[in-house]
Amino acid sequence: MNTLAWAGRKVGGALVVLWLVASAIFIAIQLIPGDPAEAIMGGPGSQASAQALAAARAEYALDQPVITQYLLYLGKLATFDFGTSYSLKQPVTQVMGEVLPNTLWLSLMALAAAWLLALCFSALAMRAGRIGSQVGNLLEIIAAAVPHFWLGAVLIMLFSSALGWLPAVDNGTGHGLVLPILTLALPLAGFLTQLMRDSLSEAMGSQFALAARARGESRLKLFWRHGLRHATLPALSLTGWAFSSLLSGAVVVEAIFARPGLGRSLLSAVLARDIPMVTGIALFSALVYIVVMAISEGIERMINPAGESR
Amino acid sequence: MSRTAKICCLLVIGLWLLMALAPSVLAPGDPLAINPTQAFAKPGLAHFFGTDESGRDIYTRVIHGAGDSLAIGLAATALGMGLAIVLGTIAALSPRWLDEIILRILEALYAIPSLLMALLIIAFTGPGVGPAIVAVGLSTAPGYARLVRSQIRSLKNSEMLEAATVLGRGTWRKSRNHLIPNALKPLLALVTLGIGQAVIWAAALSFLGLGTPPPAPEWGAMLSAGRTYLHLAWWMSLFPGLAIVSVAVSATLIGRALGGKVKSL
Amino acid sequence: MSEQTLITVKDLSVSFDGTPAVKNISFTVQAGKVLALVGESGSGKSVTARSLLGLSGGTVTASTLDICGHDARSLSDRAWQKIRGNTLSLILQDALMALDPLRPVGREINDGLKEHTALKSAERKQRVLEVLKSVRMPEPDVRAKQRSTELSGGMRQRALIAQALVGNPQVVIADEATTALDSQLTALVLSQLRALKQQGRGILMISHDLAQVAHLADDIAVMRHGEFVESGPTQQILEHPQHDYTRKLLRAVPSSVPRFTALSDLGAEETTSPARKIQDSEQHSPALSVKDLSKSFGKHLAVSSVSFELPRGKTLGIVGESGSGKTTTARMVLGLEKPDSGTVELLGERFAPSTASQRQNLREQMGAIYQNPLGSFDPRYTVGQLLTDALSRGKSKRASEYRKPVTQLLEQVELSADLLARNPRELSGGQRQRLAIARALAPEPSVLVLDEPVSALDVSIQATVLDLLDRIQLETGTSYLFISHDLSVIEHMSDTVAVMHQGKLIEHGDTASIFGSPQREYTQKLLSAMPRLR
Repeated sequence: MNTLAWAGRKVGGALVVLWLVASAIFIAIQLIPGDPAEAIMGGPGSQASAQALAAARAEYALDQPVITQYLLYLGKLATFDFGTSYSLKQPVTQVMGEVLPNTLWLSLMALAAAWLLALCFSALAMRAGRIGSQVGNLLEIIAAAVPHFWLGAVLIMLFSSALGWLPAVDNGTGHGLVLPILTLALPLAGFLTQLMRDSLSEAMGSQFALAARARGESRLKLFWRHGLRHATLPALSLTGWAFSSLLSGAVVVEAIFARPGLGRSLLSAVLARDIPMVTGIALFSALVYIVVMAISEGIERMINPAGESR
Repeated sequence: MSRTAKICCLLVIGLWLLMALAPSVLAPGDPLAINPTQAFAKPGLAHFFGTDESGRDIYTRVIHGAGDSLAIGLAATALGMGLAIVLGTIAALSPRWLDEIILRILEALYAIPSLLMALLIIAFTGPGVGPAIVAVGLSTAPGYARLVRSQIRSLKNSEMLEAATVLGRGTWRKSRNHLIPNALKPLLALVTLGIGQAVIWAAALSFLGLGTPPPAPEWGAMLSAGRTYLHLAWWMSLFPGLAIVSVAVSATLIGRALGGKVKSL
Repeated sequence: MSEQTLITVKDLSVSFDGTPAVKNISFTVQAGKVLALVGESGSGKSVTARSLLGLSGGTVTASTLDICGHDARSLSDRAWQKIRGNTLSLILQDALMALDPLRPVGREINDGLKEHTALKSAERKQRVLEVLKSVRMPEPDVRAKQRSTELSGGMRQRALIAQALVGNPQVVIADEATTALDSQLTALVLSQLRALKQQGRGILMISHDLAQVAHLADDIAVMRHGEFVESGPTQQILEHPQHDYTRKLLRAVPSSVPRFTALSDLGAEETTSPARKIQDSEQHSPALSVKDLSKSFGKHLAVSSVSFELPRGKTLGIVGESGSGKTTTARMVLGLEKPDSGTVELLGERFAPSTASQRQNLREQMGAIYQNPLGSFDPRYTVGQLLTDALSRGKSKRASEYRKPVTQLLEQVELSADLLARNPRELSGGQRQRLAIARALAPEPSVLVLDEPVSALDVSIQATVLDLLDRIQLETGTSYLFISHDLSVIEHMSDTVAVMHQGKLIEHGDTASIFGSPQREYTQKLLSAMPRLR
């Protein structure tokens, strides 16, 4: 399939997914018992003022039939109007705009760190003997199984309280980022390493690796020219999922390290049953996933044009 | 799988079950018993894992907390697997258009990571164990569903099934004898992996205050409490965390031993 | 005229973790001459080849290991890298896997230049195109940018050879370079090797098939269990073999061996008039009657108006290259593909297995054997379970009431009852194929469709399986539809032959006529490429 057709297909699919998520939220809202205006403004039995409720009714056209509400809802989303956050009394888009960059930045850096760590570990694992290999295997499994919230606490204990090298709370300098990024990156690195190691050893033991060595290539060049591509392929296809799980982890990490970001806003929105906020964040994370997936699929196609169709 | 490996796996699973169903065997005390004079006691003979801010014995709480965590993990995985098998099978065997629709739905589910999914559901329903189970189940389903679908699709056209056709077997017998067992085989290994992951996510929710309400000895909640006293009483955070990690790690190891490959997600 | 000796090997031994794989062998490779190492799988021939490149992976000792002037016994990794690709190079068996599927072939070839020359990028590109032209690659500039998966079989083979030549090596090692290739590709590789020989390079050919090397090799060394059993000039080995093992290998080659003459020790007794269960095949309707079968996949016409008959108790051989449509025809006969037009009649009745009521009974009359039997077995079943499943019509996997018939089936295919509890994965290629035959025979079919049943087997194993098939045909009167690209196997096994090319049945007749006096040009061309031993 040529690139244009593929891109078109991706965009179409993206729109469908976003529409599905938006519709699911809409249905969920309808299912909340009681006054819909209250539901939007903090859930049944909320403390919203009569004024706020009236404003909500007008904004969401709650007196109209459901279909009209639905279309209105979709229309607003399409123009990026997510409404006003009940708990923060600001337009959702504004709130998100303030905190998004933090979380995105954190996640991106964690993703990069995880990939780097995974590549290094895989390369190291290549040279390890049988025992080293088993140990490495176990370490990877442990790393992947460690929950963020615990890892964060451990890292704080170690590097902050005990050794005093790194601050536990962001103090404005870059140092404050190291621990949160590590906390996010390590479990993912463990997972990615397992993936990469399998593919890497498969590639290095294959016929074309033998042929390459028969041409005079050194092991290192073999890794660079051949092994790397094969190792990263399966990891690439999971990048979309990995990134969204990073976003997920960011929620926890921001809580532990007291950092402002999407995670914190989401948590307080959830506790306050602030539906517009929640809608905005849900759609945003879906969008992020789609974009990351598309990019990684694009890279995959470049590396492996003969890829299998799903 | 070697005999020693099999025995180890069974021992571990046995230990979990014991912790979940009969915690008093391993920890006869009361997990909720408050003892303010003994607050923040260091780990020692009297209290293996030390005590928390209200003097409750952490060892007892960790053991008793297993039941909740494991139950949520199991239930969520069961939900996710069940959904995955149904959706994956339908998608694999249906005409193109239905397959595409199901794929889109799966992608929509996949796009929202577990924690966010949980938070979304809780935003509408309020916190609790139920939403946690539903959330984790829904978010793990698409990964497994994709696996089921790709397995069935590749098996559908396999030489194995063709050979069965040539021998005269009908559709029903082919599905029953060959298609279904082989399609579900990789899932088996992933089930244990899934349980491990589910336990972690459930604990994460409690950590954020959205799961089992206090003072239940749930591991995530204990970690949350421990955070405040991190510098004072590190043992409050260490041991519940270790419990979570050990469940997840042993689940992974068992899954790997059963032949699960990480690639298949 | 003294030939220049390029490689001298004396007392070479290779062992892995203490287990010896090669024991004290000695040989030389000379410029402009071909040495063939012949043996079955596990004989150590590939290990020997790789140790010449320092890539065996085991412990290598030798009293002399001289590679074009380098003492290879004590070379450092770095020094090895300088020799590899430059002084000697390797052509592997499977072109699809020997070229990195993720990289354009031009780049793979370019790598060789990067390692050994100081040429600039543009000059290297030029060299790559030159070497591609020298192996007669069509449109070399286009092909260089493509990956091995995007090239046709022939082009892949050429790319594979090109990457071995780009460093201008003095010695070329061809490791099973023609195994599992159809006759066209085999002829291509052999002609390339011949050209290399004429250029004055030394060639070491590794193979399990004496027929393949017979025309090209100047000297042959027969290997077994890591040792040379016999070695000498080709003529001498082929005509006056000294050792029993060599004789066994020679006997196994089906080339020009008459029908029902045993190829191995397990063979059928030699009979001039074999007694067959089914008498006058003219009285009954033919086992298979195929009329005007056609099938297209999209725009591609795979099979076009094919008709033939298979008389009872006889073997019809269908021969053709890959892409000739023979497999599609077989699948239509088996009812796995629905023909666009045409009919298939089995034992005089219309074979249209879509009617459920007829399905079980009709289908049981026709069995199938594949090239790679492992793919057709359910991976969870053991040998015993597979056969029980076949005998019980899928109703049971492990019933003790089937114990006896299962054992009988195993006896019929000469497999030991010890194997009952094993998974087919643990069996050798030959044993797996026997198992497949046993399973196919369980419902006592009248017709067996065999699609490349021995192509993946070593010649000596192939011989035992072919003899087994002959014996079974004599005992049970089963008719065979035998499909292969290997002409010598077809000649040996078939009573009648059909030649297919690009979907059409080009020529059809009894074996003697087709092979003795082929009428059509394509058949003549095909036969001329056939490696003959005798």
